[in-house]
Amino acid sequence: MTATPPPLLSLRQITRRFGGLTAVDSVSAEIDRGELVGLIGPNGAGKTTLFNLISGVTPPSSGEVAFEGRTLTGLRPFEVARLGVARTFQNLRIFPNMTVFDNVSVGAIRDCGLSDALFERSSARGRDISDVSTEMLAKVGLADLADELAANLSYGKRKMLEIARALAGRPKLLILDEPAAGLNDTETIALAQFIENLRAEGLTVLLVEHDMGLVMRVCSRVIVLAFGRKIADADPATVRQDPAVLDAYLGTGDA
Amino acid sequence: MSTRPGEQGRRDEAGPVKTRLNALLVAGLVVLLAGLVAYRSGYFNQIAITTMIFVILAASLNLITGTAGLLSLGHGAFFGVGAYAAALLSTKLGWPFWLTLPAAGAIAALVGAVVAVPTMRLTSIYFAVATLGIGEMIYVTLLNWVGVTRGPMGIRSIPGMEIFGLQGMVFNMAVTATLMLVALWLVHRLTHSYYGNSLRALREDDACADAMGIDVGRLKLQSFGMACCLAGVAGGLFAHTTGYISPESFRFGESILILSMIVVGGLGSIYGSIIGAVLLSVLPELLRDLGSYRMIAVGVVLFLSILFLPRGLVGEVSAIDLIRRQVKRDPNARRSAW
Repeated sequence: MTATPPPLLSLRQITRRFGGLTAVDSVSAEIDRGELVGLIGPNGAGKTTLFNLISGVTPPSSGEVAFEGRTLTGLRPFEVARLGVARTFQNLRIFPNMTVFDNVSVGAIRDCGLSDALFERSSARGRDISDVSTEMLAKVGLADLADELAANLSYGKRKMLEIARALAGRPKLLILDEPAAGLNDTETIALAQFIENLRAEGLTVLLVEHDMGLVMRVCSRVIVLAFGRKIADADPATVRQDPAVLDAYLGTGDA
Repeated sequence: MSTRPGEQGRRDEAGPVKTRLNALLVAGLVVLLAGLVAYRSGYFNQIAITTMIFVILAASLNLITGTAGLLSLGHGAFFGVGAYAAALLSTKLGWPFWLTLPAAGAIAALVGAVVAVPTMRLTSIYFAVATLGIGEMIYVTLLNWVGVTRGPMGIRSIPGMEIFGLQGMVFNMAVTATLMLVALWLVHRLTHSYYGNSLRALREDDACADAMGIDVGRLKLQSFGMACCLAGVAGGLFAHTTGYISPESFRFGESILILSMIVVGGLGSIYGSIIGAVLLSVLPELLRDLGSYRMIAVGVVLFLSILFLPRGLVGEVSAIDLIRRQVKRDPNARRSAW
């Protein structure tokens, strides 16, 4: 028997305080390889803070985040990204004055040294970045728009561009921050299909959503946050009937 | 899809048409310089050399400001560091030209890197204000460190360029033109590559670039150091071709002139750097009859360009847009994410 490998991502008693406010309150959770996990919660539940704790934007007040058994404490966001954690942003953050292709390539560049810049034509890294960017653009259906300025894309296409940019880093864990926000029903259904396909290819996905619909549809497991605490962690059907979850979403009667 | 590996699918990618155009431009430059040499006018030759020096300065500033989005208001000071380094090394220590020139670049890069370390963590407009202060500090140092720099008297009798006994105006022109082409090639490689894409990502949104795995701090430092190095080499060329330098040539106004060149020509574009530098070097000379009022022309051109050509002649971002985003972005965060 070999020892079981550590889970892909584990949160250990992680807490984050901002002054007197405890935004995330000793949350522990684990995500295994190949899972498609949803993270939901009402407004102000601490989803975004938890997200920032994982991606290295904010350091935890106590507790730690570990990725593949390795602590992320003290690492800067770019170092977390290089370990294989890719993310998208709730309010789109594409690079508007760059082409669609160049936007995606940024996700793959990582550590491009000066020698790569000067002798790129003959460098294997340059070819690799080019290949993976082309592949990811095709995957999200933006191949025809490669040379278009990102600023000229429609909202839905920008969302897909952000996902392609995140995928270009060949991540082990993809964290999507409210990918369905602002999308119409048709686009949301297409997005759900796309996320399911990513999982089918073996990618681990953490889906942070405000809206229950998409999460309940695609996720195998759902983590629910309310007031910074984890109040549920189970499959969608169980979570849907959990009294604590109903309470958090619908109020206790006096709300 | 027109994206080819190694070409980044950039709109201004170096396709066969561009290569032919570039060859034509270099040929045009050689013909123009040869014509000037044949004309035997020291005045015109000096203008040609000064213009080429400004092309190096504009291209190097465009690398950090136009491509990487670091608005520097002190580029003229690093030009000055290079000029003084070359002048002092050759007059006081008797170093030959082929040593003083690389030394000028290295010293300017070093000074740039040293002052950059604390300021690189500042984002947006705070960085611009810091470079303004650094530029003034360098100017004041040049002006008041009389024991070394001779202060406002400046440094005279700087030896001209000389390698293996070759010297004179034609040689000066050939060396300057060659180094200008090398500088342009370097900036072209740094910008038309994935390295350039990571610099653009800094300009567009540095916190997002950080989250995408780009080492923002290291890139800023590297690009700033390289731009300062090129400015230092330009300073060395200036010192050895004019034979006399004083602090007045490296004041704030000089930094603004270089900045105006890239705004008029186009932020983030190499052709823009060339056009802007040529336009704003030659225009004041044409208007020499107006005396010191001629510098107003620079202001008028800058004003008209921002008004009617927001992206400059061939730029990839608009100057107003760049400034606006710098002021607006992260009102609470004065420091970048790293």
